[in-house]
Amino acid sequence: MTILALETSCDDTCAAVVTRAGEIRSNVVSSQGVHDRFGGVVPEIASRHHLELVNAVVDDALATAGTDLGGVEAVAVTQGPGLVGALLVGVATAKALAAARRLPLVPVDHLQGHVAANFLAPEPMEPPFVCLIASGGHTLLGRVRDHHGYEVIGRTLDDAAGEAFDKGARLLGLGYPGGPALSRLAAGGDPEAFAFPTGARVAGLDFSFAGLKTALLYTVRDLGEEETARRAADLAASYEHAIVEALMARVERALAAEPSP
Amino acid sequence: MILLALDSSTPSSVAAVLRADGRVVEARDDPPPGSRGEHAARLLALAEDAMAGAETAWDDLDRIAVGAGPGGFTGLRIGIATARALAQARGLPLVPVGSLDALAAGADAAGDEVVAAVIDARRGEVFAAAFARGEPLLEPAALAPDDLASRLAALDRPVRAVGDGAVRFRQELARAGISVPADDSSVHRIGADALCRLGAARAPAERDALLPDYRREPDAKPPQR
Ligand SMILES: [Zn+2]
Repeated sequence: MTILALETSCDDTCAAVVTRAGEIRSNVVSSQGVHDRFGGVVPEIASRHHLELVNAVVDDALATAGTDLGGVEAVAVTQGPGLVGALLVGVATAKALAAARRLPLVPVDHLQGHVAANFLAPEPMEPPFVCLIASGGHTLLGRVRDHHGYEVIGRTLDDAAGEAFDKGARLLGLGYPGGPALSRLAAGGDPEAFAFPTGARVAGLDFSFAGLKTALLYTVRDLGEEETARRAADLAASYEHAIVEALMARVERALAAEPSP
Repeated sequence: MILLALDSSTPSSVAAVLRADGRVVEARDDPPPGSRGEHAARLLALAEDAMAGAETAWDDLDRIAVGAGPGGFTGLRIGIATARALAQARGLPLVPVGSLDALAAGADAAGDEVVAAVIDARRGEVFAAAFARGEPLLEPAALAPDDLASRLAALDRPVRAVGDGAVRFRQELARAGISVPADDSSVHRIGADALCRLGAARAPAERDALLPDYRREPDAKPPQR
């Protein structure tokens, strides 16, 4: 069984060819890179670019996998959640490809897609496991018992972890999307230089990053412009450390609560 | 020529098959005025309905035509994404049809009567163009209704305006002496015959270059800091 999969939920136009056995035969990701100057993903621009790219990305994925639509047995597509206009381009494309080739269409929940990525080679993971999804749009903990779904056992009460990165980066003047820049800067800093809140004392498996962002804002204000610039690497490292600590604490709690297999 | 034509540039979803014997089979969804289109749910199913009604299989098709706008952005993208993927899946040529051209072509202009095709562009604007004997007198543009009315009046010829934008802004157009057929007249909708006729006559486009005729820049203001 060979599956062609499309994903257009945000600003990357993606297509992959995967076998039922979990082998990734191709994985084409076309990043639009046009949103940076707007300080965020602009839905209308993302939708326009998906439409420009989607068929070529599918062609590329098929060619890289050494196959064509004749070798495809099912078409999968991210159904949501995501940017509605962006999703529609991928869904309309997948539906039409499937209809015209008389192939089954498999709509996939965006987050289930993240969970299911763990089932793929070269290091497939078999349930049961606890899955942390931490992206620009989502932060949640899932308990995975089989290949068909997951139970949400923790979610963010405010920002996603990726958003916390981007917002922190903005406070440090690193532009958008600043997450990667913040991470690079953090590599040269001291993660213990500043004690940012990790919410470790908040009980349960839910996440919250609003307090952390506020703490960084006050620290930057107290330090002043010059001192902030001088200690930017330490600030970035400490901020990143706090986010990772917050994630790790919930994962450890979830694992501790899990009956051993 | 056997052709499948799609249009989703207005709230209506339209699919049509032109058969080898010249007969056109149409399948369409026309939501009530003021409501949004259901292109995502309906368009492909209507295409399959039209194909079944025309006893046409995917292998029979010679080309796919699609309404390329101007019109609603989301609807246009669904129609064009659908058409492009069908063409990709079957290796078929793809032909863009201007939505305003198709609307005007369906109005059956008499003699040198001027037909203005007017699509509601929301936010108080219309997408409009005017034609006489199939030749453009006013190029497609996004306009305020009053602006359109004065441009049409300046032609100093009898003008008939059709389309959901003509219905919506009937008063503004009537003030400038432009006639608008009754609200429920079928000339206000993009029809199967016009889509198929233009789709058969026009030259195919490169698949990846077939994009909506947006006629309006995206709303992309940098977020406030
Ligand atoms: Zn995601």
